[in-house]
Amino acid sequence: MTALAQQGREQGQDERRALGIDWGDVVLNAYIGLFFLYLFVPLGIMVLAAFNANDTPSVSDWRGFTLQWFTGATDEAGNVTVRGLPQDARFLQGLWHSLLIALGVIAISIPLGLSGALLLTRLESKASTLLYTLLVSPMLMPGIVLGVSTMIFWRDMFGVEAGLFTAMIAQSVFIGSYCMLMFMARLQRQDRGLEEAGFDLGASSFLVFQRITLPFLMPTIATAAVIAFLQSIENYNTTFFAIGGNWTLVTEIGARMRFGLSPVVNAIGVIFVAITIVAAVSYVLLKRRRDQRIKALRR
Amino acid sequence: MSSLYRSYGAVLASLLLGIVALWLVALIALPQLNMIERAFIYEPRGGAAIQSQVDVDRLYQQIYTLEYDIQVLRQQAGAGASVGVAPGAKIGEDNTAGSGLAVPSPSAAGTESVEDQIATLEAQVAGLQADLAAMEEEETRLMAEQEAASGYSMRNFTTMSGLHLRIFGMTLLYSFCVTLICFVVCYPIAYTVAQTPNRERAAMLMLGLLIPYAINELLRIFAWTMILANEGMLNTTLDALGLIDMAQGEPIRWLASNGAVFCVMVYAYILFMVFPMYNTIETLDRNQIEASKDLGASLLRTHLRVVLPYAKPGIAVGSIMTFMLAAGSIAVPGLVGPGLHPDWFSQVIYRNFFEAGNWNIGSAYSLALLAACTGFILVNMVVFRVGIRDIAK
Repeated sequence: MTALAQQGREQGQDERRALGIDWGDVVLNAYIGLFFLYLFVPLGIMVLAAFNANDTPSVSDWRGFTLQWFTGATDEAGNVTVRGLPQDARFLQGLWHSLLIALGVIAISIPLGLSGALLLTRLESKASTLLYTLLVSPMLMPGIVLGVSTMIFWRDMFGVEAGLFTAMIAQSVFIGSYCMLMFMARLQRQDRGLEEAGFDLGASSFLVFQRITLPFLMPTIATAAVIAFLQSIENYNTTFFAIGGNWTLVTEIGARMRFGLSPVVNAIGVIFVAITIVAAVSYVLLKRRRDQRIKALRR
Repeated sequence: MSSLYRSYGAVLASLLLGIVALWLVALIALPQLNMIERAFIYEPRGGAAIQSQVDVDRLYQQIYTLEYDIQVLRQQAGAGASVGVAPGAKIGEDNTAGSGLAVPSPSAAGTESVEDQIATLEAQVAGLQADLAAMEEEETRLMAEQEAASGYSMRNFTTMSGLHLRIFGMTLLYSFCVTLICFVVCYPIAYTVAQTPNRERAAMLMLGLLIPYAINELLRIFAWTMILANEGMLNTTLDALGLIDMAQGEPIRWLASNGAVFCVMVYAYILFMVFPMYNTIETLDRNQIEASKDLGASLLRTHLRVVLPYAKPGIAVGSIMTFMLAAGSIAVPGLVGPGLHPDWFSQVIYRNFFEAGNWNIGSAYSLALLAACTGFILVNMVVFRVGIRDIAK
């Protein structure tokens, strides 16, 4: 059967080759090319404009290459002539707020996600689907609803005004769900036999958790922490509503965009793009090396 | 529950239960319930009752001023009669004319006109007091009405004006269109990346998708704002091509249109559609596609009968994410030409909270948005026949 299919497939390919160019492939490739242009041209323009000496970010009105939006510029007397990133106190403060919130989010959402996952994988009852639905619901909610409800709740109940704390809580609610899904995926691949063996050898349930389950989850805890950190830094919708008069790096970018475009935002964009590309490429390379190692081991 | 205690022991199991309970109750359920409660409590403000209160207060003040004027005039008139100091009379004349009573004199003429003034003022006061009685009646009626209206009611929703209702409807419609466009544009991409036999090429394509996906939403929006701005790339390119003349007339105001919001939104959220579809199509056995081809199915038929049915859970997840992000987007409508195009519903919610300071109506509108998104999820689950566990993976 498979031999027949193989034969048929080759025959089909031969026929197609005989016709010359496969127009379907050409159209598809052109389409993919266009799609990637659509994805990357705007980003390229943004990056390029960060190096333009023009006050309004632009690539068409080129006034010479500069790094002043990254470094700022001072005259001989030491007065600031161009406000670049280092002179922008609000951006630096916002970055600091973002980092604080992100660390808080990691500290809250990892325990939440871990507990939820451990509970759900062992809960053998009808309620488990309901519990699962409730715990993943923050992920499926619009971010603004989450931000709004957290903000109101903390003010109504505890008199806590909107600020960094409420932003951190609001983010943790849905980032906790992401973490939970990651832990659940990992736990589903766990070999229960190891735990059983631990119990058979007389280990207490706590010891089994400490020596078997937790080490097994360790790599996922690290990944989840990275994902939680990124999600927190990047978040706009929820934070925007929950943070009140305070600000993070991202909400500050939003606030600047309201008042018109500034090349300092481009400079931040370039830094973001650079970090992302380095991270993505190293991730792919690491994954490939690991795949090859696994392949080598299997042989 | 017993299996839980067996696996983790009493202490650990209780700890896990406690943390999850805290998450569920304090972070998820109570804030939502609090918001829902506020949504159903009508909080009348700036309405007819307050307006009438203000009107009544103003009337009281007018009457008071008039009465004060009358008093002053009376005092002056009285003083003029007894001591002979008529208002406006010169001091030198006073002593001579003052002794004579009811002698027609300049000062007496003044007294007469004062009495006239008093009479007209008193007539005004009487008229105002009649108004006041009517208005106070109106005020008590409105206050009673307001009293009856607060408490639980649907009024936060029913008072949604025609304009807001239209914005709500348009937001959902546009979000649906964004979702649909994203799906149509993405499907070939997701399919190609997932099913490319060449692993190197697949990895490169994947990288090409990952990088823009990981870059912040706001920066992606910012990049487009640069292109669409009046002096932006698009206009200068058109200018260079000679299609428009920027030196002569107005440049095309791309940012002022709904189309700009639409275009940027597709750009901002398209990758949330690609990845879920990619994830499901990747697990499809290539042999199924080959088999379909070998059995003589056309390309279209293969996709309709083999690939699409298989990709259902991915399509459902992608649609839900894209729709939810688009309907709840505050960044795109708020930052792409803000104020130049019709509002998005999220902006109305924002203004209720942070400009009008009306949290209960804001809560009601948030709840409406939440309900719409939940409805969309349920419809998706029915249409694509997927369960909640397929959606949130």
